Amino acid sequence: MATQDGTAESATGSQRLEKGTRETLVRVARHGVLLTWSFVVLFPLYWVVSMSLKPPGQANSLPPDWVFLPTVYNYIQLAQRGEFVAAFANSVIMVAASVVLVLLIGVPAAYVLSRWDIPRERDVLVWILSSRMLPPIAVVIPFFVIFRALNLFDTRIGMVLMYISINLSLVVWVMKAFFDGIPETLEEAARVDGATRFQSFRKVILPAAKPGIFSVAIISFIFAWIELLFGLVLTSFEAVPVTLYVYSFIGSRSIEWGMLAAASTAMIVPVVIFLIAVNKYLAAGLSFGVVIKE
Amino acid sequence: MSTPTQTEAPTKNEPRFARVRDLWNDYLPYWFMAPMVIVMAMITFFPGAYDLYLSLIAEPTLNVLNAEFVGLSNYETAFTRGGAIHSFVITIAVVASALLLESVLGFVLAALVAGVDSSGAKSFYRVLFIVPMAVAPVSLATIGRIMLNSEIGVVPYLIDTATPFAAPAFLSDVPLLTVILLDTWNWTPFMFIIFYAGLSSVPETLIEASRVDGAPLWRRYLHVIIPYMKPVVFVAMLIRMIDLFRTFGVVYGLTGGGPGTATQLVSINIYEQMFINNQPGVAAAMAVVYLVLVVALANVVIAKVGFEGVWD
Repeated sequence: MATQDGTAESATGSQRLEKGTRETLVRVARHGVLLTWSFVVLFPLYWVVSMSLKPPGQANSLPPDWVFLPTVYNYIQLAQRGEFVAAFANSVIMVAASVVLVLLIGVPAAYVLSRWDIPRERDVLVWILSSRMLPPIAVVIPFFVIFRALNLFDTRIGMVLMYISINLSLVVWVMKAFFDGIPETLEEAARVDGATRFQSFRKVILPAAKPGIFSVAIISFIFAWIELLFGLVLTSFEAVPVTLYVYSFIGSRSIEWGMLAAASTAMIVPVVIFLIAVNKYLAAGLSFGVVIKE
Repeated sequence: MSTPTQTEAPTKNEPRFARVRDLWNDYLPYWFMAPMVIVMAMITFFPGAYDLYLSLIAEPTLNVLNAEFVGLSNYETAFTRGGAIHSFVITIAVVASALLLESVLGFVLAALVAGVDSSGAKSFYRVLFIVPMAVAPVSLATIGRIMLNSEIGVVPYLIDTATPFAAPAFLSDVPLLTVILLDTWNWTPFMFIIFYAGLSSVPETLIEASRVDGAPLWRRYLHVIIPYMKPVVFVAMLIRMIDLFRTFGVVYGLTGGGPGTATQLVSINIYEQMFINNQPGVAAAMAVVYLVLVVALANVVIAKVGFEGVWD
């Protein structure tokens, strides 16, 4: 794919020397645009991180103090707030549990959708996608009532169920596409060797689908991690997710900017590190298998 | 695939276990599908039916038989005094503009990164450009509040001092545009990464052939690359469209629907009707209309564009 534009010519053609100047221009323009977008991406992140490291009183001075002595004061303050630590731990536990469960439910189903002739398969897939079309606000009202009746209101179990509901359709869609891309001959061979259906699924298909499972787990993690509405409506104290805690900093009369920045940073940084670590799998999973067959 | 399992015949001393194992393997598709179908039914039929029921009664009650049905009066309230029309119009405007902006930007960035010839620079851009996805919309809203604030924000300050223009008051003068721009920052990465994967899959030979034919760059994209990528473009835009309709956190954190009702998207409006105005019937009526609208729209898109490539 590196050969989209002018780059292939530079590799193949010494007969196209006259194109040299144009190529340089193309390269400069390309990196100009890309660096501009890099700046757009980085500046807000830089701003919130630097704000979290500024001593109180310096956080909002205008003109900005571009040079300052970093301090972890805000983070220490934050760590001493039991509510924030509890909310952070809540989010980690609830989101991780929901990802494990959504994979256990979604991946086998996607495998069946990929391999068996399901009647009205197209309708089934659209039905699954429709769970994502339901606006969360329309889902949350019925669950608000039912959770109160079943004592699931403000519990981690209730929140895990809601996070599953966000991600199940995505897991099924992405994994179905991924399984479609794995040749059936692989498991037929295993079957001939005497493996049962389940054994061939577990020992042959699952390992082959690992990159897909990995990337769909990451996407599910992110979608659950950033969710606000379910926490807002379905929790009050015990199962509050960290998104809600970040929100609680704003809206009040006096905003502790430094703490707010530190809390936002604490929420973003782990996910960014995670994303960078697994970035090569992400593209494979997000291509929805449409292109994996090639 | 209804052939009997290929397991070796059960040995005499474990018949019961073998029977269980056969049940497991013979009906594997059912066992595999059942949890998904149960959860899916729970999260689609139940809320849909409950919203419909709630929208037709006077007071919410868990006792279906005792409910006092009021016909369509909740719908009438939603559309006359509830601001439903305004909410739907601005929601559609936000969805359409953000979807267009994110798709075009995502595609251009993906094409530019795909053409970078140094592998180090390439992976630098690729990793950096997906980072905003990790930022929760509500965190983004708080960051936006800090950076765009008219008095203490760095963005208005920089616009005022470094350019000849006066900065608008982002949150009060152009709140909808601000929402769209923040969402674009947040979710262009989603389009970028999918389009990037799609572009990487276009066969070299196809591009080579069109280059030999002397097709200019834009024609190559318009007539060869984009048609080849159609399924990817389609799925990405469909998923993003559906998610854009759900936009809540960024608006809730940034403006809370205001000033006035300027950014009162449908999801915000429903939330307020339910939890602030305490009118669950009106909230449910709006949710039902919303649901019908989004499902219908998605079905039109699916029927129109088709699904070739997504399923065999």
